[in-house]
Amino acid sequence: MLYSSLLFIYIFLPVSILLYYVTPTKHREKTLLILSIIFCGMINLWFLGFILVYVAVNYIALRTIDKFSERKEIASIPFAAAVCFDLTAILIFRTKYFVSLLSSIGVPNGFFPLGISFFTLSAIGTLIDVYTGKMKSDKNVLRFALYIIFFPRLIMGPVMRYGSFNKAVRERKDGLYEMGVGFTIFVKGLAKKIIAADNLYMLYTAVGRVDYGELSALTAWIGITAYILCLYFTLSGFSDMGVGISYCFGVRLPKSFSYPMSSNKIRYFAARWHIDVIHWFRKYVTRPVSRNIKNMYARKGVFIAVWGVFGFWYTFSMNGFIWGILIGTAITIESRLDKRRIMVISGVIYTFLIAAVCTVFLAEESFSGAFRYLLAMLGGNRIFADTISLYLLKSYIVILLIGLYTSTSLFRNMLMRSGKNKLSTAFSILSPIAVTGILIVCTVMISYSGSSGMILMKL
Amino acid sequence: MAENMSKITAVLVLGVMILFGIFFVFGNKKAFSENENRELADTPEFSISDAADGELTKNAEKYFTDHFPFRDRFIAGSAKLSTLVSESIVNGVYVSGDRLLDMSAEKRDTTDKSAELINKFCEDHSSAAYFVCVPTSSGVYGDEFPQYYQKNIENRQITSFYNSLSADIRRIDAYNILKMLNENYIYYRNDNKWTTYGAYCVYKTVIQKLGFSPIPYSKYTVEHVDFDFRGDLYDITQYKDIVPDTIDIYKCISGDKIKSCVSYNNSGKREKLKLCDKERLDSPYKYDVYMGETKPYLNIKTTVNNNRKLLVIKDKFGDCFIPFLTQHYSEIAVVSPEALRVPLSSVVNVDSYEQTLFIMGVNSMSSSDLFELLNK
Repeated sequence: MLYSSLLFIYIFLPVSILLYYVTPTKHREKTLLILSIIFCGMINLWFLGFILVYVAVNYIALRTIDKFSERKEIASIPFAAAVCFDLTAILIFRTKYFVSLLSSIGVPNGFFPLGISFFTLSAIGTLIDVYTGKMKSDKNVLRFALYIIFFPRLIMGPVMRYGSFNKAVRERKDGLYEMGVGFTIFVKGLAKKIIAADNLYMLYTAVGRVDYGELSALTAWIGITAYILCLYFTLSGFSDMGVGISYCFGVRLPKSFSYPMSSNKIRYFAARWHIDVIHWFRKYVTRPVSRNIKNMYARKGVFIAVWGVFGFWYTFSMNGFIWGILIGTAITIESRLDKRRIMVISGVIYTFLIAAVCTVFLAEESFSGAFRYLLAMLGGNRIFADTISLYLLKSYIVILLIGLYTSTSLFRNMLMRSGKNKLSTAFSILSPIAVTGILIVCTVMISYSGSSGMILMKL
Repeated sequence: MAENMSKITAVLVLGVMILFGIFFVFGNKKAFSENENRELADTPEFSISDAADGELTKNAEKYFTDHFPFRDRFIAGSAKLSTLVSESIVNGVYVSGDRLLDMSAEKRDTTDKSAELINKFCEDHSSAAYFVCVPTSSGVYGDEFPQYYQKNIENRQITSFYNSLSADIRRIDAYNILKMLNENYIYYRNDNKWTTYGAYCVYKTVIQKLGFSPIPYSKYTVEHVDFDFRGDLYDITQYKDIVPDTIDIYKCISGDKIKSCVSYNNSGKREKLKLCDKERLDSPYKYDVYMGETKPYLNIKTTVNNNRKLLVIKDKFGDCFIPFLTQHYSEIAVVSPEALRVPLSSVVNVDSYEQTLFIMGVNSMSSSDLFELLNK
């Protein structure tokens, strides 16, 4: 059950909110934990079992590390064991090599613990923090369990440090106002997923049907534009939905994307794309590794390699790694070459072109496929545009324009600049109706199948 | 100001969610949707094994989706919206200018399993076999698909299927006959299937192969019995902007009459049946006007006095075709594998028929379990 399913939106979510608010304040956190357990159980009981074991292993390891915090050589045993456990789990489920092993112990076919890529990062980060003595482990097992399985955070993060999550839960401020803000963010995420991402995915698959040897340059560019927008809207849509739901309970989670598409440098693009995950990699991989490296080139090398790992985290394949390396290299080259200010418009176009070219590797499954696609984008098939590109442009122009417009910060800026004038008043008066209206539109669009299941990548 | 508006948002959104929840809980739940012409999902039953592999939640989602308040209206709205913001594809159906076309042809499983089972059947029996593999509307009107979409999938599927049939079986190339005539009203706009006229065009060739000369078109009186037919593709899309279809019934006034027509269900119970009965236009699927709901076995006796007997093995495509055959045979046995649950040999003695005609849509060829019972 994803957040973008009718059963979730019209049964699970309202029932959860009502249950939460009828519980006395003292016990509300427990209600959240119980709701999260029900959510996991509804995905399937195997998942529930898996995640409870996962929580238990990590909790016990954390407590043991803490107990021996004076004696590093003993503490390193539970630390290493728990990190190995977490890494093995993600390897088993995200790669294809263990399918027969899983089915031999009775795991149903196609079982995948959704969100494993995110809660693995959370768990390992906490282990490192406790092991290095940056924080004490929390005795409160309920809070720790909530940290891993809190259902608005389960599917697409955001990844956050235990301390920040702890603070967000402890100092939560719930009420009708928060609920309103939460619903607004939730519906925004739902619209990103159902209206934008799903239709863009259709466009991307339509382009993918053309033989790459006959792909015209324009079609290829349309396809990759659709993909990059679809990726952005899927990831940030789910993340927004999660942030919104959790806001309804007064728990404020950070957002993962901050309009990366309107960056005028690839460096800014990288700083606004999947902020929480990139931050994690910088904190727990880049910094510790490059701390002892004095050589500037070697440090750059580490920086690029970690970007590669981040890309690999997306796909668990070579192509994701290449995507990361390319983005990392582009940032490095850019920071060396150009210190001047770039004009906003040309900067945004330049950033988009670089990001699009790199993202071909994320979109394609094989290296050769990505290479042939790139060739087509550069006009290697000697066709600039054909009837297919015109047909696709004509059919999808509305969604492409909406996508390009809303993925940049133009709309938000318009609201901000309007300040205290009438426009802003009009917007705030219209907002309740707009939010409800968009919710209904999204409901209409998934009314046939009941949910929007396309998740682009299983994270 | 903004704070109050946010509170209003909260009340409004939660109100909408709860309202739909209440409508769902207290709304009356139909078992059958006439609009979509299909059974709606049953209340999910709890079992540990279903809960363990997530099947229970899937069933609950299906149930909730099927009985969601105002589902019919929502789906119709969804069809409109999705053609507006993207390509004219609604739930896997392409909305071409004036007709709906199914896009699922390429997903069909095209193994030779069905052909093997049919070969075995023909080997085991002395009856001479003829095969008509009928394309769906997306095969005949494939040119209307967007350019990136493969156009002659069905042609290839039919050819490959015909190639795996044994040499003794005579094949009739319905695809090219229909393709040539596709300027005419030979396929429904809202359904996968051919119109009675489409069936007549193929009949002319088939009946010659079977050894008769066709009844000329001029001998038939055509009655338009319904002008408001929406078929299976409409059921999927609920797309209303396509002109509804006309259902025709062909009658050969001067020709032979049907003496008796009896249908049998799987337990052998007999029931009288009238071919082309206008009263069936009230059923949710108006195409049933020809032969009613699919029966496993049907026996038709006519006033034709030549003692010729024909066995027809058909799917829904055969329904409007069979009336044409009644002008040529004294007895016709009709078997529908999709409804047959008992071995074929227990309902009919195949060897007493000198000819066997298969008349099936290419979409039936992908489900080989359809033919398992023929050989038992």
